[in-house]
Amino acid sequence: MSKVVEIPIVTTEVPIGPQHPALHEPIMLKVYAEGERVVRVEINTGYNHRGIEKLCEKNSFYRDIFIVGRVCGICNAVHANVYVRALEQILDLYPNKRAQYLRVLAMELERIHSHMLINAVMAEIIGFETLFMHIMLDREKVMKAKEILTGGRVMADYMMVGGVRRDIDEEKRSRLRDILLKLKPRVEYYKKIFEEDETITKRLIDVSRISYRDVTSHGLVGPVARASGVKIDSRASDKYDAYGEIPFNVVTRNEGDSWARMMVRWDEVLESIEMGLYILEHLPSDGNPVPDEKRLPRKFPPGEAYTRVEAPRGELTYYVMSDGKGQNPYRVKIRTPSVNNIINSGFMYLEHSLADVPVILASLDPCISCMERVTVVDLEKKTSYKVHLKDLAGGRV
Amino acid sequence: MKRPKLLEQVLKSLVSKPATVQFPREKTEVEPDFRGLQYADLTKCTGCSLCSIECPADAIKMTSIPQEYEAPKTNPRRLYPLINYGKCVYCYRCVKVCPTNAYIVSNKFDLAGFTRLTSEQFSLSTLKKVGA
Repeated sequence: MSKVVEIPIVTTEVPIGPQHPALHEPIMLKVYAEGERVVRVEINTGYNHRGIEKLCEKNSFYRDIFIVGRVCGICNAVHANVYVRALEQILDLYPNKRAQYLRVLAMELERIHSHMLINAVMAEIIGFETLFMHIMLDREKVMKAKEILTGGRVMADYMMVGGVRRDIDEEKRSRLRDILLKLKPRVEYYKKIFEEDETITKRLIDVSRISYRDVTSHGLVGPVARASGVKIDSRASDKYDAYGEIPFNVVTRNEGDSWARMMVRWDEVLESIEMGLYILEHLPSDGNPVPDEKRLPRKFPPGEAYTRVEAPRGELTYYVMSDGKGQNPYRVKIRTPSVNNIINSGFMYLEHSLADVPVILASLDPCISCMERVTVVDLEKKTSYKVHLKDLAGGRV
Repeated sequence: MKRPKLLEQVLKSLVSKPATVQFPREKTEVEPDFRGLQYADLTKCTGCSLCSIECPADAIKMTSIPQEYEAPKTNPRRLYPLINYGKCVYCYRCVKVCPTNAYIVSNKFDLAGFTRLTSEQFSLSTLKKVGA
């Protein structure tokens, strides 16, 4: 007579990170798995906290433009742009059209290289290193374009109160146009690979499918939300800088899985290339876009400003407060898209296998150095009313 | 489902030169207006310390010009900005805020070495020595 022995399934705790070959940045995912199946994920952060908000309070308004650019290496131009726009709102000083177009060009070049980078990283994570190398090689073209435009391959340091820090001439304009035209067929080719290659589709399709409802209830932003059909884009809703005049489409998909998130990024790259070409074609010449940094106002009036920008990873918001007393801001509050997308992503890993964990994390485009700060929500008053962002931004409420 | 023509790309890469640059044996091409090494021209510098105050990385320290150099009369305090290139973030804030446009800019970026590099030798080379 045989005896049936039941082996209980034990939940194993698998710590992934903060230093791990599959992760490029210091985050710890404490994964609880039953066999290969993930049952619970705890997301631990705090390994990269640098206290940049406090540093901003200790430095002057103008020094902070360069400090906030270093919150994140990849999206430095958008960080500087959103901070500079907050200062402009406090000072009531606005740039001319040419400067606004050049700002958008710098930010769109940044979006192109950021999206190309995460798609390359995704290819590497699923084991397709040849594709990683090819995408990174073509990304160099964008880095060169950024160097031509801003004077730095990665760190743009391009934004200044009242404009940008350097202008482009006809020669640079034609070189930038050539680079974008050369890049376009390459991006279309990579998009086709992501659509058709079996290595990629088998690893990405149907992995971590999230619904429209999940996205809105968890407050996810950026390409992650757009891949689930949520049409959220600060560029389209705020129309800051020159986005109101440059035609572009908000790319959305309805699949909601990891593959859709990567495809949204490729479509956005193509959209950004078109925007870049439009800017180079229709660059207005209504004066000098470069303000004289020696003559910018030294004294900041008391006031506060709240601005937002569509960073490559989603909506990025800055709150800057000036007490009008000194050279330094009283408070600078940064909220990056990665805070929403990473902290709230625990539910996305459930019921998938352990091997899918790095894929799901990479599909969120994590930027850990951006997100290491605290969000405080005040629930004491329990009242709610609607305020337009434009009223809120100038501190007029 | 048709497979993309990745094989063609691979064969093309086999016969072409490597995409990487063999740095430092081979120079990396940068733009002429790339933000590289910068230093103050001491014949123009007035020692006003504005660059030092504005530097976001605190890389500039105002230092006195050694006695063996002839300081211009426009610089009565005999001060000059000494840039620590290890700390410098090359944002060119100093270049832009300088009231006398004293900064000389270059696109030199390969500054790694065994000694700590500062702007001392570059800046002092713009001045004459006493009696020379």
